[in-house]
Amino acid sequence: MAKEMKPNEIIQSINYTPPAKPWMELPVEIKPGMFCWGAKAKSLNILGLPNARDWNPSHEDWKLPENWKDTVLEGMADRLKKYRSFKLFMDICVRCGACADKCHFFLGSGDPKNMPVLRAELMRSVYRRYFTTPGKLLGKLGGARDLDINVLKEWWYYFFQCTECRRCSVFCPYGIDTAEITIMGREMLNLLGLNIEWIAGPASACYMKGNHLGLEPHTIKSNVEFMLDDIETVTGIKIDPPFNKKGADILFVTPSGDLFADPGTYTCMGYLMLFHELGLNYTWSTYASEGGNFGFFTSNETAKRLNYKIYAEAKRLGVKWILGGECGHMWRVLNQYMDTWNGPADFLEVPRSPITGTVFENAKGTKMVHIAEFTADLIRHGKLKLDPSRNDDLVVTYHDSCNTARGMGILEEPRYIIRNICNNFYEMPEDTIREKTFCCGSGSGLNAGEDMDLRMKGGLARANAVRYVQQRYGVNMLANICAIDRAALTTSMNYWCPGVGVTGVHEMVANALVMKGEKPRETNLRGEPLPAKGGEGNV
Amino acid sequence: METPKPDLRVDKDGFLADYHEWNEQAAQLLAEREGLGPLTKDMLDILIFLRSYYEKYKFFPIIRAVCKNVHKPKDCLTEEFIDPVKAWKIAGLPNPGEEVEIFRDWNPLGF
Repeated sequence: MAKEMKPNEIIQSINYTPPAKPWMELPVEIKPGMFCWGAKAKSLNILGLPNARDWNPSHEDWKLPENWKDTVLEGMADRLKKYRSFKLFMDICVRCGACADKCHFFLGSGDPKNMPVLRAELMRSVYRRYFTTPGKLLGKLGGARDLDINVLKEWWYYFFQCTECRRCSVFCPYGIDTAEITIMGREMLNLLGLNIEWIAGPASACYMKGNHLGLEPHTIKSNVEFMLDDIETVTGIKIDPPFNKKGADILFVTPSGDLFADPGTYTCMGYLMLFHELGLNYTWSTYASEGGNFGFFTSNETAKRLNYKIYAEAKRLGVKWILGGECGHMWRVLNQYMDTWNGPADFLEVPRSPITGTVFENAKGTKMVHIAEFTADLIRHGKLKLDPSRNDDLVVTYHDSCNTARGMGILEEPRYIIRNICNNFYEMPEDTIREKTFCCGSGSGLNAGEDMDLRMKGGLARANAVRYVQQRYGVNMLANICAIDRAALTTSMNYWCPGVGVTGVHEMVANALVMKGEKPRETNLRGEPLPAKGGEGNV
Repeated sequence: METPKPDLRVDKDGFLADYHEWNEQAAQLLAEREGLGPLTKDMLDILIFLRSYYEKYKFFPIIRAVCKNVHKPKDCLTEEFIDPVKAWKIAGLPNPGEEVEIFRDWNPLGF
């Protein structure tokens, strides 16, 4: 693997001048630092996916079955029949180019095949050749090309250089969802065992043990107990959260990253403290112990299988509804797919906050509420005693996670919470937030170590906007509601914006939360001294 | 403490082939292979905790939990070993394979 690029090397390498040759004549070059290792036989076997074998994308031979071309074309035909959206998105693009400069990977790399229009064209050209009359008759003149091994490798390289963030779709006058094209591309690649290990590994761990990290029930409990110990140190309050409790009102599901890695563990401590303070009749589950879904980056079928356990556990425990933690892609799956994949969840009730009485009509179908909605509602009804000055050492900006912002329209709730728990909040420029938010650059399973150049190039657009508020307002903390963001942005901020930390919103909630019977707080959840009262700690 | 085994059996990535063949001397040899000097008592305390945690939970502990358990500041592991994966390796724990990359990226403290 090549040496990772330095920030100035990336900046200097960006060249937006298109190559002189037409794109079809430029063969794909699999560049180190820009791709992830191939899925291992072990992981694919666990998931029961085809062509399980160990392979190396940088080798010439990808160990494909002899009839691979038929497999892809049959897979494409099946999906064109099954998904009307896919057929539509193959047909209607007029190549206007409105999406071209909206992709963080194009902005950070200058590679024209990272323009969403051209990335989709890699597949459309094959679609035309085999599924449209003009393409069959006119070939290249009709924008069509044969599917050969180089085209397949090009698909693999570029469909794993898209984070399915859908920023391009916001600008498409036809509303083409490029993420769905990438999803279909990855589905077809998976028919040949062409996944990446950073997706297949966690997906197989989730299939076996219920979560991406492969944490067993007693390990989950041990990690939570460690956090409880830290909470007691900070607040003097001993919390005893319920696990797998039958008859609880609410099942709580969050991404497993929050149970293991900083700064997600602090967010997790935030959930524990909030629920304790409310006296919520809820439960954790060591079976439905993953909110995220790396199956979604593999195939719809795999995603559906991994998602199944959430409703199954809700049914087994007899809860009324489900509350979900801070995560990004988890919510695209829950909000847009779960109900039809594994529902209807008619054994659950329309979610109603036991604290405020608010009925979450928006979650009538899925019966699952995002914690940002839940907490914003609590604050709105004056149910939380908050001391925002405890967060006075922070100058905060907010990164909208792609999937919660564009996938389910959660735009105001986190901002409402942040404004109530801290005194220094500044927005990034308008074109980089809300539905136009820039991706962290590492989503959709690309958060590996070996593709660091790709991630840092893809993270540049987001980091550039953070840098702007860092320089202008002294921002030192990037808040978000996504577990992948918490991991990916930490790396990206260290690289592009040193001095900016990363936090989940509920970590800040817990720091501001004045709990009944707590001792005077001396530190925040990270064990750092609280800012001095009276302005000394203010920035 | 057992007599050190003269031939330290490691796999292709330098992980101890048999987890049970670990002792203080083996740890010193593994540390040398990783370019670290003689192990101090603080480092050994961390390694022993990692092993006991692994025996019970088959996983890497939350990084700052390691330090709390050996009564050290919360960045102790990365300060002593720089790379948590090196600590895992010197503790003689099994090669986690690709999963190690997950530890790397889900643990921003070390990188």
